[in-house]
Formats: sequence, C-alpha cells, structure tokens
Amino acid sequence: MTRTLSSRPADAATAARRPILSPRVRRIVEKLVAAAVVLWGAATAAFLAQIALPGDRATTILNVRSGQTQLRTPEELASINAEYGLQNPILVQYLDYVGGLLRGDLGVSYQQHRPVWGIISEQVGATLTLTAVTLVLAWVLMIFWVTLTAGRGTKIRALGSGVDTVTAGLPPYWLGILLLLVFALGLGWFPVIGGTGVDGIVLPALTLAIPLAGFMGQATRTEFERSLTAPFIITARMRGMSDLNIRLRHVLRHAILPAVTLSGWAIGATISGAVIVESLFTRPGIGSVLITAVDSQDLPVVTGVVVLVAATYVVANLLVDLAYTVIDPRMRNS
Amino acid sequence: MTLMHKHTLKTAQLIAAGVAAMLALSGCSAGGSIQPEAGAKQVKGGTVSYGHQQEPACVFGGWIEQAYLSYQVLDNLVSLDDNHTIVPWLAETWQASDDQLTWTFTLKEGVSFTDGTPVNAEAIAYNFDYWAAGGNSTAAVWLGGYYESAEALDELTVQVNLAKPYPLFAENLTQAYFGIQSKQALETRTEEENCASPIGSGAFTVGEWNRGENIELLRNDDYTSPPANARHDGAAYVEKVDWKFISDATTRVSALRAGEADAIYDVPAIEWAGIGEQGYDQLKYVTPGRPQQISFNTARGIFTDENLRKAFVYSLDRESIVDTIGKGVIPYEGNGAVSRTTPGYSEKAADAYSFDLEKANQLLDAAGWTERDDDGYRVKDGKRLDVLFPYSGGTIINADGASILQGVQQQAKAAGFNVDLIPIPPSAAASGKYSGVDGYDISVGYWTSVNAGIQYINWRQNLPESPNNWNSAFYNDPQLEDIIVRANSAADLDEQNALYAEAQEYIADRALSVGLYDRLSTLAVNPHLKDVWQESAQGGPVFHDAYFVE
Repeated sequence: MTRTLSSRPADAATAARRPILSPRVRRIVEKLVAAAVVLWGAATAAFLAQIALPGDRATTILNVRSGQTQLRTPEELASINAEYGLQNPILVQYLDYVGGLLRGDLGVSYQQHRPVWGIISEQVGATLTLTAVTLVLAWVLMIFWVTLTAGRGTKIRALGSGVDTVTAGLPPYWLGILLLLVFALGLGWFPVIGGTGVDGIVLPALTLAIPLAGFMGQATRTEFERSLTAPFIITARMRGMSDLNIRLRHVLRHAILPAVTLSGWAIGATISGAVIVESLFTRPGIGSVLITAVDSQDLPVVTGVVVLVAATYVVANLLVDLAYTVIDPRMRNS
Repeated sequence: MTLMHKHTLKTAQLIAAGVAAMLALSGCSAGGSIQPEAGAKQVKGGTVSYGHQQEPACVFGGWIEQAYLSYQVLDNLVSLDDNHTIVPWLAETWQASDDQLTWTFTLKEGVSFTDGTPVNAEAIAYNFDYWAAGGNSTAAVWLGGYYESAEALDELTVQVNLAKPYPLFAENLTQAYFGIQSKQALETRTEEENCASPIGSGAFTVGEWNRGENIELLRNDDYTSPPANARHDGAAYVEKVDWKFISDATTRVSALRAGEADAIYDVPAIEWAGIGEQGYDQLKYVTPGRPQQISFNTARGIFTDENLRKAFVYSLDRESIVDTIGKGVIPYEGNGAVSRTTPGYSEKAADAYSFDLEKANQLLDAAGWTERDDDGYRVKDGKRLDVLFPYSGGTIINADGASILQGVQQQAKAAGFNVDLIPIPPSAAASGKYSGVDGYDISVGYWTSVNAGIQYINWRQNLPESPNNWNSAFYNDPQLEDIIVRANSAADLDEQNALYAEAQEYIADRALSVGLYDRLSTLAVNPHLKDVWQESAQGGPVFHDAYFVE
C-alpha cells in the first residue's frame, strides 16, 4: 500500500506531461489529416481546372459524341445540361461533386455512361503493374551500372556517368520506338502489341525504366563515390572484404537514399505519365484514360483519376519515409 | 594498384562486350515471304486480329469511328454497293410515293435481333424516332428538316413520312449511323449497356470490351440477314474479330509486319509503298462527301472580302503540297464542296483555281495590302495580314494532314499572309471555342456522306428560326440554299446532279471553300486473310466475308 502510494506522484507527473495521444499515434493522425488535405486540394484543383477550360462543357460533350466541332443551339444542349446539372451555379456543382467524393461516389462518365469507379478499377491494375515492374527494372539497372562503374578508373567513371546522363535524357517515345523496332519487330523476342500479358510488359517497362535508372544513377553515383573513400570502407577493406561485397553491402546502403526519394516521385509520375508508353505498346492504363478524358472534358473521369494519382503520391511518400528508417536506422529517432 | 588496374580492364571488356552484343542484335531483322502457298485452302473459323486507330466511347453513335464499329453489329435497312446502287439489306423492297413524301419499306421475313426479338416494322419505326430525337446525333442531322414520322403498317411494312421530297432519302440510310437496334434493348436496357454493346441483328455481337486495348466481336451464328452486296449468305466465316485499338501508326504497321495483326487501318502515306512491296493486300477508299477542305470565315475578318479569299487560294500550289506529303497515296482535291467519289461531282469547280502567285499579289495590292514588314508579311494601315487557322490535330486532321497544312502556311507566306496555324487539342476543338464567328479566319475539316446532299448540311443558311452551325463559312445565301434544296428534291437524277454541280461551282466562284485532299480510309491486310472489303457508304472494314487460308 505504502509502496503504491509512494509511487503515485511520479506516475501522475508523467501522465501530466504525456499528451493525450502517444507520439506515434499523433504522427499517424497528422499524416492522415495531411493526406486528406492533399486529396481535397487535388480534387478541387482538378475541378476548377476543368471549369476554367475555354468553351462550353455541354457543347464539348455533344461534339465529342458526334465527332464534330461546331457550336450548338440551346435546344440541342438542354438535355445534356439537365442530365449533368451543368446549368447549376458552379458552387452548387462543386458541392455536389465534393459531396459525391465524401460518399465515395466519383460520378458517371459523360462519354462512357458508366461509373468512374468502374473505369478506374478496370484500368488501375495494368498501370500499377507497369509502375512496379518499371521501378524494379530501374533499380536493377541502376545498381548494376553504378556498382560496375562508379569509383573505377577515370575512363570507366566517365563512361558510367556519361551513360547516366544520356539515358536520363532519352525521350520515352523515341526510346520506345527503338526498343519496339529492335526487340519486337526485328528480333521477335517480345510482342509488338504489349497488351496485358507477362511478356508484353518488358518493353514498356524498359522504356520507362532506362531513363529513370539514368536519373537515379546520377543521384546515387556522387554519394557512392564519396562513400568509397570513407574511413569505414578502408576499415572494411583491411578486414579483407572483397571489393564487390564492399560496394554492395556498405557503400550502396549509404548511397541510395537519394534514389529512394526519387522512387517515391517516380511512382506517381509513372502512373500519370505512362501514357506515351501505353499508346505506343497498346497497353490499357490510367494514363490513356486520363488523356482521353481530358480531351473530351469528361470531368468526372478526370477528377477521379487526379484524386487517385494524388492518393498514390501520398502513399508512395509514406512508404519512402518508412524506407528511410529501414535503410538508415539513425533516422528512427530523428 | 595492379589489382585495381586488372579490375578496370575486366570491367571495360564487359561493357564493350555488352555494347557489341546490342549492336549485333539490332542488325537482325524479320524476313521471309508472307504469301500463302499456291492452292492454299480456306480454313474454318479463326480470329481476325485487326488494328484500328481511334477508340470511341460507345459502339454506336454519330462519329465515323463509331460507324465503323457499329457496322459490324447492326444491320441497316439498305446497303450501298460498289456501283453506288442501293441494294436490299433488312428491307427487301422500298418505294417512294409519287410526291416523294411517303416512303414504304418492306422487311425481310424471319430476321431476329440477337436478343431474340423480331426485326419488324414496329422496331424500325421506333429506331427512326430514336435517331431523330438525338439517339444518333449525325442521323438526326440528316433527318432534320425532312423527317416527320414513321409508322408500322403491318408486321413487315413500315411507312416513313417526310416534310419535303427527298429522293436521296434511302441512299442516306446506307450510312451506319442508321443501324437498326432492338426496340426492346433500347427501351429496357441501361444507357451504359446500349453504349457498350448495342443489340442489333448483325454479323457479330459485342463481346468483351477491354477499354484502351481491344473490343471483341463474336460471330452471330444465327446470322441470316447480310446485305445483298455481301459475298456470301449466312454467318461469318471467322469466329471472332479482335478489334484492337492501336493509336500509334508505327506500332500499327509493326504489328502487321510482325504478324500480330491480320489487318490494320489507316496506313501512313510513307509506309504505303513499302507495305505493298512486301506483299500485303492494300485497300483504299476515298470517302465521298465533303473532302478535307478549307472554308473561309465570310462573316468577320479579312476574308469577308472575296478578293482576299481568292488571293489566298491563288497563293497556294495545293496539288504539289498534297503530292509531296501524300506520296501519291493521298489524292489532291480541288473541289471544296464534295470529293471526287461523290455523285454529281463538278470538275469545273475543282479546277477553278490553280497556283498563280502573281495574281495573288495583284489582288492583295488592289485591296490596299501594299506594304510589307521585315518578315515579308503584308501590312495595311499598320495592321498585319494575319490569318487565324486552328485545326483539330489527331482526330479530324491526321499526321499527314497536319504536314499538308504546314505546306499551306509556307506557301501563303510568299504572298504575304501570316498564317497562324494552331493545332488545337480535341477538347478545345469540341468545346466550341474555335467554332464561333470569332474563332477562326479559316476552318478545315471533312464530313463523309454518300451523296452531294452534304451541301445542304454545310451550306444551308444559319437563321434564328432554323439554326445551322454546320455552315462553317458563316455564309448565309438564300440563292445557294435554294439550288441545293432543289437538287435534294429533284426527281430526275441528271437534273439533280446538274443542280448539285451548280451549287459546287457557286461555292467555287465565290471562293467560299476550296478543297485540299480527299479523306481516305485505307487498309493493309495480310494475304492469309481473304475477302476483307470496305463498305461503300463510309469505307469501314467488313469482316463478315473474311476467311483465312493455309
């Protein structure tokens, strides 16, 4: 009893200093609130951008449906305005739209007459697969090339960083055509029309992975070469560790943080930016859905895809944060 | 140091070997003959892999890309054959009353939609009302001003009542915009279902549609109603058409060459000769109707002046631009009103203008545009001779077409025109931003049609009580409209063609619109696939008669 009593004031003091939520929970709540703000901002920006586009939305819907480009009479537009509520004040349209988002309802496509959820869920798998394979290939290429060439003799180092710079700047369309003509048409190793098959993903993923690998390689190489001369590396060498082992186990770990950051960005960029590759290799995906929807001012689809891409960025950045602490344990307490 | 050096050598060798291997590999290429052996036999079934360019949002609709697709699934009342004769399809016979105001169609017996309901007069009448109400926006335009009502007289006889005589009425019904759908499907299914898989009585039904990738057309095994110009009766030979959407031209051609596509649409002019030399079958169809033409804004800006319109036309060597870019595949078209494959085509209108820079300069000088600025553009009262010329790239104007327009821009510069050629994205084009009277000085575009009646759509006056936004020259002229209306209603074919020609010459004389090139529909087909043909109303591919040989 006495013991309990005596310990109580100390407990109370700790409790008073401790916030209602543990730091960990608080951090998660903060992240979630930030994520919600990002999503709301993206959705609002997409909505406003669509509203700000020149011309009349009902006219666009009607013209896209008929492959025409002329002005339309009020009689022609009346039914479309009524169907999609386009005659309502912008604020009402916006509230309708945000209300729908909160209910998880992204609306119905103006052109395909079907729910946006259906359109996105049908296409997102192909895109995520492409993104994942691209990322893996880019990492493999980058690690292979950097480990092979960084911190070698002058000529090889120059070649190494030269290739990084050139590949990072390769236009995807040109690279894609080259890969298609050589490996699909010339050698017949892969299908020309990628589709969603396993062998069909190699060339599209390579088209995106090669420039990305070059880009990440540029960021990694400097850090890699700096680490090679660090004291702990010399220690490791003295311990008799092989050069390859040192490069892969010690140096790489120090050098890849910038590339990890870039990967977070690349995930988002690939999802929305894969459209060139999708069109070249005839792959379905969110990129082409977005382009088609923007072309036809299919607002529900555009905003739906934008919200999805924003959500992916949020998740990717969370993953990157997490990866930091795994790669560099010192960050766990920072 | 020695160790380091050795290592560097090894790495260098590795890299060199890799580069050498890449180079060696890229030197290889596909080869071998693609021709089937002599006496190759027809094989049963199979799947046609077809590479098309653009993917519409719905199978059925008022856009030509939809017409190409819906043609596979829906039957029309009548069909157009190679000789431009109307032949039976769902309708066995048809007749217009003496006053041309009442049309009677008698249907084939025993035809069913693929949902099991009968193709009867009631269904046909329902389709007419459906189109006119906007169910097909382009069909509605054709019916506008003429169509009044449709009624079923008995099970197989349908009567259509018109407001004005229209001898070409049946001919217009051969376009796939007038594909007949199941009344039950239109009434009971959702808009989404009728968009993605309309129910007709056609040779194929819509299977799975993987958006962004392909759409499957499955054989209708019970097909009994091919048009009279089909090459065989009954169901299609092939089991399936895998209608792939391959937007990139390089990929399309590569897919054909790699054997992944049996047929492809829209072969780029630069690949045409090579594809032919390699032994692929080539089909080319010049779409009748309005060609790819430029029309001048006659309501606002510099081209309200007829002489400036003429100066612009004289400054262009249109034929040489089209021949250079089109490599002999894309035909030059001088006529701005209708293309050379349209009945009633006027050579005189087509030949009205040829390249004459001197004349262009004279006309401009006479109009007071005498000074030139440092870039060589003409100036009058401190104002430069600017021409706003937006075009819809990628959809209405393809890549070859865009190059031709750049040629126009270059040539007009010699006469002192500063052509502001603006490629506009589809959304901006469709939004109407560049469509109004302030939107352009010159507009470019085509409109397919089976006869010169397209002039009624393109040149009818735009009046408050009867708006016509398809009049892209903003040219309101009761006299021109009268010629076209009389042509539309003329019962005698020669009289009709003479009137249509008169309208074309009227348009040419005033330089309201001039032609650039004829819009093409091209196909390249692997010779293992036989009897793919292009239908005569719009040049879409027909797979009902297609079969493989081995």
